[in-house]
Amino acid sequence: MNKGPERVSPTRRELLRMIGLSAGSTALYQAMTSLGLAAESPYRGPVDLQGTPPGASVLILGAGMAGMSAAYELRKAGYKVQVLEYNHRPGGRNWSLRGGDRYTELGGATQECRFDSDLYINPGPWRIPYHHRGMLNYCKLLKVPLEPFIQVNYNAYLHSSRAFGGKPRRYREIKADYQGHVAELLAKATSQRALDAFVSAEDQERLLESLRTWGALDKQFSYVQSEASSLRRGFDKAPGGGLSARPVASKPVGLSQVLDSRLWEHIPDGDYFDMQQALFQPVGGMGRIGEAFGRELGPLIRYNARVVEIHQDERGVSVAFEDLAAPGPRVTARADWCLCTLPLSVLAQIPMNVGSSLASAIAAVPYAPAIKVGLQFKRRFWEEDEDIYGGITYTDLPINNIGYPSHGQHSGGKGVLLGAYIWGGDGMEFTSMSPAERVQAALAYGAQIHPQYPREFDNGVAVAWSRVPYTMGCFGIWSDEARASHYDDLCAIDGRIALAGEHASFINGWQEGAVTSALDAIERLHQRALAQRAVS
Amino acid sequence: MRRLRQGPGRPAATCRRGGCGGATLALALALVLALAPGPKAVAVDAAAPALAPEPRNLTTGADIYAHLCQSCHMAQGEGAVGAGHFPKLAGNPALRSWEYVGVTVLNGRHGMPPFGSWAQMGPLRLSVRLSDAQVAEVVNYVRSHFGNRFSDRVRADQIKALPHPTQPAAD
Repeated sequence: MNKGPERVSPTRRELLRMIGLSAGSTALYQAMTSLGLAAESPYRGPVDLQGTPPGASVLILGAGMAGMSAAYELRKAGYKVQVLEYNHRPGGRNWSLRGGDRYTELGGATQECRFDSDLYINPGPWRIPYHHRGMLNYCKLLKVPLEPFIQVNYNAYLHSSRAFGGKPRRYREIKADYQGHVAELLAKATSQRALDAFVSAEDQERLLESLRTWGALDKQFSYVQSEASSLRRGFDKAPGGGLSARPVASKPVGLSQVLDSRLWEHIPDGDYFDMQQALFQPVGGMGRIGEAFGRELGPLIRYNARVVEIHQDERGVSVAFEDLAAPGPRVTARADWCLCTLPLSVLAQIPMNVGSSLASAIAAVPYAPAIKVGLQFKRRFWEEDEDIYGGITYTDLPINNIGYPSHGQHSGGKGVLLGAYIWGGDGMEFTSMSPAERVQAALAYGAQIHPQYPREFDNGVAVAWSRVPYTMGCFGIWSDEARASHYDDLCAIDGRIALAGEHASFINGWQEGAVTSALDAIERLHQRALAQRAVS
Repeated sequence: MRRLRQGPGRPAATCRRGGCGGATLALALALVLALAPGPKAVAVDAAAPALAPEPRNLTTGADIYAHLCQSCHMAQGEGAVGAGHFPKLAGNPALRSWEYVGVTVLNGRHGMPPFGSWAQMGPLRLSVRLSDAQVAEVVNYVRSHFGNRFSDRVRADQIKALPHPTQPAAD
């Protein structure tokens, strides 16, 4: 598990360097990911900050995962900590909308969530991979119970409006058929000696054997309608007991149809490092983590504080803010150091006296539009009618995803689906609609996959991240060029100010990026504080 | 390699349309609305907009604005204020310079994504790319609406001459 870079052999190191030189950092990152080196969280266990100068203080801007994990550790290390938060609640993008919640987006549209009391939608992050150890550690510390998040469900759908007459296919069918046909082709190529130049005779035998296993091929290395293939793709009539027990094998879809459908694009979705089982979710909604952090930090957090100016001098940092709960003159908070976790979309607009390299870095990162729609249905028809328990359906329709809840399964009551999860241009279009229109559009598209939608729909909410007042976008988009020019500057401490958040990480859009960037930043701030004491 | 995977960090990023544009969407909406009874159903809104065909098929400034820009700058160009703000376009004197507007649309500003190229993270496209002609249309639109009365019109070749963001490598 702890495959640190120190274990990279010179050959691998050289390989990575060459890839990096020739193809840019994305290729390097992907190569490293495939070697299992890059995407693993850099979390090294709890930080241990020793020798805090007496009376030293840190002002933290933002009570999201970055700000609150930093506050937790800095308080423990003996710093005087104050956190300023724009919202009236802790968590930031760590957030669940539950029945009775009200949410007002930019532009003034207010939605009242009318879900049943135990149901929710996570408008932001919704899953924690097993290797995001920083997040998992804080869940344990804060006693936030976790439960499995089902990412891969072989019985969920792959759907293309342009293939199979718009009828969704089960993931298991497409995966088995793609794999089976490819295995058969490769077996043919092997038997017809097309691989002689590449594979030794001995290995060809093993290859054929492995292809039969991998692809569920028959004795002649063909992928056909059979018990073997049906054990992968599902039966027309599944085996049972008694006189009616005899199974009926299903007929695979032809290779050409599978290829033309492009549904194979989604076969590896659960193979990526950050999507591999096991993943987790907090019981009761992702927002439980932010809520627990908020309780833990208590009066350290000042809510309803809208930061309007950040000014550092030789002795400390002053932050001017408006108290949104009690409008009046600006209030100023001051500390020796400042950890700023505000999203760059917001920070870029706040006057702050930092060097030009940091200022340029802050301005270099555009924010992604993204939408999530939560739909409550009167009945869990995806479970009752279609045997889908958790997981994700992928579609080429603008809704992109239908996410089935990993909790409350088989309860027989109502349920909430993630009815859409949209980025890019489609995300901008959905954002341009009113919340009710977004819900209607998600229903209209989703009904092409689940015809039960119109009859079973109860109510819904739609969160467009560009209109979320405290982030004005979903997460920072780092192009390779911007990363090369600005990333180090963004993370470097400028005088008495350090930045943290998912934007200051290589795990963009993940909470683990926020946590690990915060811990990295406070360790460096702490070193500065110690050095400062040494010279003063 | 148009898309790899989906997730907060690895979203689908392409703008494409399945068989639910225009009339199909309207039909599907009608079906949903007809069959969704009771007080808990979403309010029926006959004006629910159909999604645009594809960003590259948005030709008029009004369409481009309504489907893309409006997501942040709001329906009447009024902008918005939260922890930060989305600039108001209505009656904004900065729009006097078409070059300023054009450069902003092409390259983005602060958190605003560029539209002269895709905002791209690795292989993932997380925004929309507009042609110079589309940029010219939308620049002309915002400079002549929302109370703005700048009568000079910009052409695609003038937009082409402005600085553009680096184009990411082809697929």
